[in-house]
Amino acid sequence: MKQIKRKRDAAALNSRLIRRPIQRMVWLFLLPTFAAFCIGFLYPFLQGVFLSFCKFKVISQWDWVWFGNYIKAFSDSSFLHAFWFTALFAFVSVLFINTLAFAVAYALTQGIKGSNLFRTVFFMPNLIGGIVLGYIWSMIFDGILVKYNTSVVLNSKFGFWGLIILICWQQVGYMMIIYIAGLQAVPEDMLEAARIDGATRWQTLWKVTIPNMMSSFTICIFLTLTNGFKLFDQNLALTAGRPFLQQADGSVIKTTEMLALNIYNSFYSSSGNNRGTAQAKAVLFFVLVAAIGLIQLRSTRKKEVQQ
Amino acid sequence: MRNTLKTREDRRKMVLTVVFAVICIIYVLPILIVLINSFKSNAAVNTETFALPNEDTFMGLQNYIKGMTFGSYPFIKAVFYSLFITIVSSALILLCTSMAAWYVARVGSLFSKIVYYLCVFSMVVPFQMVMFTLSRTANKLHLDTPWTIPVVYLGFGAGLAVFMFAGFVKSIPLEIEEAAAIDGCGPLRTFFLVVLPMMKPTFISVGVLEIMWVWNDFLLPFLVLDINDYRTIPIVVQYLKGSYGQVDMGATMALILLSIIPVIIFYLCCQKHIIKGVAAGAVKG
Amino acid sequence: MKKFLALILALVMALSLVACGGNSGAQGEGDGDAATGSVYYLNFKPEAEEAWQALAKTYTDQTGVPVKVVTAASGEYETMLVSEMDKDGAPTLFQCNEGGVATWGDFCYDLSDSAVYNELASKDYALKNADGEVISIAYCLETYGIIVNKALLEQAGHSLNEITDFDSLKAVADDIHARAGELGFDAFTSAGLDGSSSWRFSGHLANMPLFYEFRDDGVSSKPATIKGTYLDNYKKVWDLYITDSATTGAALLTATGDQAEAEFGEGKAVFYQNGTWEYSNLTEKFGMNPDDLTMIPIYCGVEGEEKAGLCTGTENYWSVNKNAKEEDIKATLDFLYWVVTSEEGTSMMAEQFGACPFNSSKAPSNPFSALANEYVANGCYPVTWAFNYTPAVNDWRAAVVDALSKYTAGDGSWDDVKTAFVEGWATQYANENA
Repeated sequence: MKQIKRKRDAAALNSRLIRRPIQRMVWLFLLPTFAAFCIGFLYPFLQGVFLSFCKFKVISQWDWVWFGNYIKAFSDSSFLHAFWFTALFAFVSVLFINTLAFAVAYALTQGIKGSNLFRTVFFMPNLIGGIVLGYIWSMIFDGILVKYNTSVVLNSKFGFWGLIILICWQQVGYMMIIYIAGLQAVPEDMLEAARIDGATRWQTLWKVTIPNMMSSFTICIFLTLTNGFKLFDQNLALTAGRPFLQQADGSVIKTTEMLALNIYNSFYSSSGNNRGTAQAKAVLFFVLVAAIGLIQLRSTRKKEVQQ
Repeated sequence: MRNTLKTREDRRKMVLTVVFAVICIIYVLPILIVLINSFKSNAAVNTETFALPNEDTFMGLQNYIKGMTFGSYPFIKAVFYSLFITIVSSALILLCTSMAAWYVARVGSLFSKIVYYLCVFSMVVPFQMVMFTLSRTANKLHLDTPWTIPVVYLGFGAGLAVFMFAGFVKSIPLEIEEAAAIDGCGPLRTFFLVVLPMMKPTFISVGVLEIMWVWNDFLLPFLVLDINDYRTIPIVVQYLKGSYGQVDMGATMALILLSIIPVIIFYLCCQKHIIKGVAAGAVKG
Repeated sequence: MKKFLALILALVMALSLVACGGNSGAQGEGDGDAATGSVYYLNFKPEAEEAWQALAKTYTDQTGVPVKVVTAASGEYETMLVSEMDKDGAPTLFQCNEGGVATWGDFCYDLSDSAVYNELASKDYALKNADGEVISIAYCLETYGIIVNKALLEQAGHSLNEITDFDSLKAVADDIHARAGELGFDAFTSAGLDGSSSWRFSGHLANMPLFYEFRDDGVSSKPATIKGTYLDNYKKVWDLYITDSATTGAALLTATGDQAEAEFGEGKAVFYQNGTWEYSNLTEKFGMNPDDLTMIPIYCGVEGEEKAGLCTGTENYWSVNKNAKEEDIKATLDFLYWVVTSEEGTSMMAEQFGACPFNSSKAPSNPFSALANEYVANGCYPVTWAFNYTPAVNDWRAAVVDALSKYTAGDGSWDDVKTAFVEGWATQYANENA
């Protein structure tokens, strides 16, 4: 009895008045979503984990190979390269996008003329899909670079910075919106107080504004970081991993290939023999993305509390 | 003294406005370049990317006409499928997940907790993790048509939506719903007449996120849909670029532009909601 | 009231979920008529899609057997086959050449007793596996080489008779290129490395070094490694292509197949490396005079190449899916027999694919196909399609194209091309047989 009571308390918002009648309609409220969730996520996820321990070409024919796929994944130099490339890309893109987005948001909340128009324009690229974006920019980059007798797929530096420019162009507007909301939520009286105390604009920004909008930073850094790690469409459309680095043993490292594309390529490569390894890579990728998300969220939340 | 301060401030603002106006023009340049190139002949797109069309290279609307009928797949079909999938999927997600979220937030049973934590968990799972098995499952269950793919979207997209809705429901006071229940409202009427109207801001932010996701999604429909019969716009664009022999750059540019236009119209119409939605979603998230 | 509402809502939701599923289910299964069987052909050649659809319709009208033809986008065949094969109602008829045997050999039905196999004019046009089962049969023969615009060649003061080997080809091309400004046209069309064009070089041109190497070494099945003996000859031709043309350097990286075709079609270049399948495009789309067109072998500076013929072969083979339902297999075999023997089928084949290797095949109207036979009749050796042995062909080619790109733009050395070619072959072979 006591235990039941404690359980009820734990579900803090449970009200008997509401709970029972809703519960009776579980088939209407919860089951449709849950059924779709099982089809669209749960079952494929579990099957994916299972298959990462198997060698298979088509799903119906598999051989259990224990950790063979994981060992293969770790000894695949293209996968490791993709990991470091992705990590570097994610880091740089987080830095650029957030700095730019915050700067723009800050400037646009100073009450300058045309703020609304600017905001509209900056947000727009967000609505264009990654594939389309990739092709637009590949045309632009190649149009410029061909004058110097080179191309975005010839030099991995061009590929890297090309992706950074593309991703900034796409995402700065989105993050800017979040920062603007954060800036507008900073209590006016605190800013007023800082002004009365004779704080400079710079001091106010660092000591009052930014600490008060830590949650905006949390969410933006979180979003840009995971977006950076999960980038696929843009990568596929802009460079598709080129240029390749020809290894002496005949294998190639696709120098601008990021993790998601690497996994995709191993799944659907012409031989179809690496499916198991690809699935193992996908599991590792998932663990990585999940870990980053959680660590990042926790560390920034801690900072928020301290403020 | 006061006057000079004010004018200095004004001047600063003027400078900022001018700077931003310039940046904005640079910002829309890529789209303008696509526009320019969509009127140019095939070869000129590659050789003189940034030049305005001249007498030799100007094609008028020919690229657009070609683009609409280009290749083996009519573009208009792709537009229709993209629109259909986006609208139906988003509507389905909004309806089903808001109901599920209310259940999860108001019923503290073990089952609802499990569902909630599974949803949160699914938010950090990248699509590559499930892409192969999901496309297979979808095919087995015949979910590989535009009419049925919304179910897949509901399943894969449920996590974030349930999470956001549940977060919101938890923040609204229980008393309102209790009052409704005392007045004799069943759960259905309570939900649709009382809870749903209160959810409106979250509804909009979730809706905006889902629409943007589904409309631009490439890999999920590419792997799940029966590509022979059904292609969405991103798939058509990818096919245009990746085919043997026949790459008509002019027509590709025309199609890219055509694929951007509906998005921009949508954006300009619902700008306020979109921006609010993004901001609200983020602050909640 | 509220019960009623709830019921309606639940019904709507359930219906929308179930009805969708049921609906498409019916659609999916509607294809396979259990009694008579049906055909599902996953077609490799996008340019022939319409013809196949029309032929399929004719067959269905005549016999009542449903024939579904689906065409993969170019370059997507393998991806598509992988995903289709894994589905219910997988293709009953698909494409499997030497390159695909390692992956798809297990899926191929033994055709040795089939009527369509008996129709083959020469059993050399069939592929067998290690157990001697006939797993696929070639259905068309294609030819490629360097297409020449004779009118322009004469305008430049040269004639075909001058060109008998690589050196003479180079001499003519160099001369035309040097005078390009004055003539108004260049020697070669742009050797674009965009995906729409690069296969001409990573596939067809790469055949030259492969063919000569395999001929020297007597290779007759897919080799695990290659030596690259004739890569210098490959380089010679490639250098010629990228020097004696209007587009050079990094600009070639984005040059498309359409661009090259248009240059040739509009009379801006004399030489254009491509094959029989281009004939109708050039004469119809660009209205070129058929009398101006001819095709010469790809000369690359190999000893005795004055006697080289055109590159004739095929990468197009039919295989029947062993795992399909019995009645579907039977329906597919009947369909194939009809295609290679009936009036409608043979006309379509001759029109679309040119020469076909079956007893009742019609003579093609395409003069390029006839040229190939002419060369052989004149005592030239035919150059076969050695590149069909390429392991994991998309991956191998991608690496070669990437290395070629860097070399072409001056960013990389030829050694990388060699590595991609030779070591890449071994790597992909190992991948494929892992």
